[in-house]
Amino acid sequence: MISHRLTASALAICVSATALTAHHFYGPYPVTLKGYSGDKTNSVSYGGQIARQTMEQSLKKLASTGNGGGNAADVEAQMMQYFSGPTKDLAILSPTSKDGFKIKQTTIGELSSSANLEGKFYKGLMPAWPGNHTGVDVMKDMISRAAKSNKGFDAENGYDYAQLISKFTMGAVQYSQAVDNYLDEKMTADVKPNDAPYKEGKHYTGKEHSWDEGFGYFGAPAHALALTPAAAYDIAKRKDMASADRNGDGVVDLKSEMVFGPAYYAAAFDKSGNTNYLASIMQAYIDGRKVISGAQGEKLSATELAVIKGHAGTIEENWEKVLAEAVFKYAGSVYKDIAAMKESGVDDKSYRKYVKHWGELAGFSMAIQSGRKNLGAAAVEMNKLIGFGPVTTDNSYVTGVDGNGNFVRDRKMTWSDYQLNMLKIQKLVSDSFGVKSRANDMLDELAKMSASADADTNAETD
Amino acid sequence: MEDLIRILATFGSYIETYLTSLSADFLNHKKRIFVGYLAISVVMAVVFLCAWRGLGLHGAVGKVFDKDIFWSKSAKADYFIYAINRIISILISPYLIAQGAVTTFLFFQLSKQNVVGFLFLDHWPSVLIITIYTLTYFIMDDLSKYFVHRCMHRWQFLWAFHKVHHSAETMTPITVYRVHPIESIIYGLRGSIVIGAVIGIFAYCFGIDNFSLATLLGVNLFSFIFNIAGANLRHSHIEIAYWPWLEKIFISPAQHQLHHSIENKHFNKNYGAMLAIWDWLFGSLHFSETGGSIRFGLRPHEASATNIISIYLKPFIEISNILKYVYTTLLKLLKLDFPR
Repeated sequence: MISHRLTASALAICVSATALTAHHFYGPYPVTLKGYSGDKTNSVSYGGQIARQTMEQSLKKLASTGNGGGNAADVEAQMMQYFSGPTKDLAILSPTSKDGFKIKQTTIGELSSSANLEGKFYKGLMPAWPGNHTGVDVMKDMISRAAKSNKGFDAENGYDYAQLISKFTMGAVQYSQAVDNYLDEKMTADVKPNDAPYKEGKHYTGKEHSWDEGFGYFGAPAHALALTPAAAYDIAKRKDMASADRNGDGVVDLKSEMVFGPAYYAAAFDKSGNTNYLASIMQAYIDGRKVISGAQGEKLSATELAVIKGHAGTIEENWEKVLAEAVFKYAGSVYKDIAAMKESGVDDKSYRKYVKHWGELAGFSMAIQSGRKNLGAAAVEMNKLIGFGPVTTDNSYVTGVDGNGNFVRDRKMTWSDYQLNMLKIQKLVSDSFGVKSRANDMLDELAKMSASADADTNAETD
Repeated sequence: MEDLIRILATFGSYIETYLTSLSADFLNHKKRIFVGYLAISVVMAVVFLCAWRGLGLHGAVGKVFDKDIFWSKSAKADYFIYAINRIISILISPYLIAQGAVTTFLFFQLSKQNVVGFLFLDHWPSVLIITIYTLTYFIMDDLSKYFVHRCMHRWQFLWAFHKVHHSAETMTPITVYRVHPIESIIYGLRGSIVIGAVIGIFAYCFGIDNFSLATLLGVNLFSFIFNIAGANLRHSHIEIAYWPWLEKIFISPAQHQLHHSIENKHFNKNYGAMLAIWDWLFGSLHFSETGGSIRFGLRPHEASATNIISIYLKPFIEISNILKYVYTTLLKLLKLDFPR
């Protein structure tokens, strides 16, 4: 009798848990398009966005394949194909299967037949890179230089192109497209309305697909809310097949089970326990999508649009913070790398690490400047402090390009002064964006020194 | 019901925090009233009374633990104030300025000047950096304590609060905690500003994680020396005096006891915490006077030694009276200065 009761209770708990968690997945959502008579039952679709996530990661891989000039033309052509297309027949270079982590798709065409990065790349001015170019032209310049470099590393000028290309793209495509297009213009009343298909012949409405595309750029799996930040982090690192393979079919479907760049960084910062970026963004995407599905193919009311804009605001605010956390973290890394080089001397390994971290710092700085908002003075100050390039071994740093497109390094700065710039960046980012995870927090080291100095006896009087 | 449980749990955690804080200072070797330092002070007092005052061991111990002092009405008020101040401290401490904020602010202010660069001294040997830092910290801490203490006596606004400490008619080591909460806040601010500034400057010159205080058993070296040298006897009836030349350098317990004297001639003397040098330099030094003639406290019209309500509220009444006086005087002056 008791065992029956226990079984019934366990069953009830399982059923309610399933019912509870089902609400926490992004999709499937029903087809609500009025007049649709096809056999599709799920209106969710964001294959093109996942394809772009793989293009960004594949470009990062290719950026490290140059041999110092000999294969530059081939590498550049290959990179440009991943950047501009056609991409349909291209292999996914990253992420790929490995022992214990089998990935379902191997070509970009399995995700999307026509997507490319160039068409969606940020086309505003990008003053963080020498030459006064638009974002898309900066990327083409980086691709060209990466192809000529030795494994993506330009020791002379202090560039790590794999890092620069990958991090900048994460902002100039994923972040920019999500917050400045799909969750912005496309969430206004007259653009891509909900009472019409997204495109002629499609089974999803304008608003449904726009929101889904915005979600695809975030790069989170549909079951992200069921994951701990550590599990999400490990999925991106291809270390946790069990957490990734939600449907248990033995393969990781990149379309719905993988963690890509933006979501990976959200999870990475959430691991600190101080933030909840991944879940906050994910919840907002799910809640927004539910409002759209709930409209049952009718035009969205002003109230519904306002609610959706609220969720879009949550996504943008948290995503911006994730990018700011990254700038904060890598400014701290650069500070520490310089301290280590000053302490133990500059060698190839320590300098390479420093340049890698600088690439991440500069890449994320460009990423956060590619969003919807004009960051104004904060962006100007950030660019000034980071510079066009890091302080190199002879203390010179890139100040611009000459008429032939060669980098000019006609000014010098001490390691210490550049370290101070990194502290100023951390303060600027902290003041401007209110970061909470605060990895590599050198300002906190300063405050901790102060707090540890017998503060508890300060109030003693006589 | 759940709400009630939550309220009780919250209340319980506050009580636990409070009870822990009551005993915390006795168990924290960074605090003056740490049991170890109290024990050392007892030994010093007994040795002093036996060797210099000629008392027997029994007599010396009896004098050290004189129940007329430890259970006097004034001392009981000290214990009560200690207990009340702990509650106030728990309530207001989250709102006080963080020392780290001062450090960070000053650090970035320094970075705006172009005279000396960031980390321009980081190549100095660490022993030298630690020595300079420890000395600077000690000197600035002690000097700022001297000046704040001096202001406490000389400015009516501050004296209204500082009188609480001076109203003690008997002194025990717990008398160090007989202070008005406003005075504690002022001293806390002093520490935040001065120590925060020293650390900000050192971090700029030597590097963020490139210096630390010289410590003994984890305690700031100078605080440790001060505490094992019988700092607790400053607030006691054991009149340990130093040689005059030494009393120009370090404040002896007897010199601080004189600072608490009720006599007019002893007013505004010996403000120093550890060093007497500041009193010597700025003309407030007074050598110790021993012989048991010093009476502690203030005259009855100044402050009550035992009335807790008066101790906490009278300073505010006095300040409002001062403000009223200033206001009415100002009005009178205006009328006089601008006759029709």
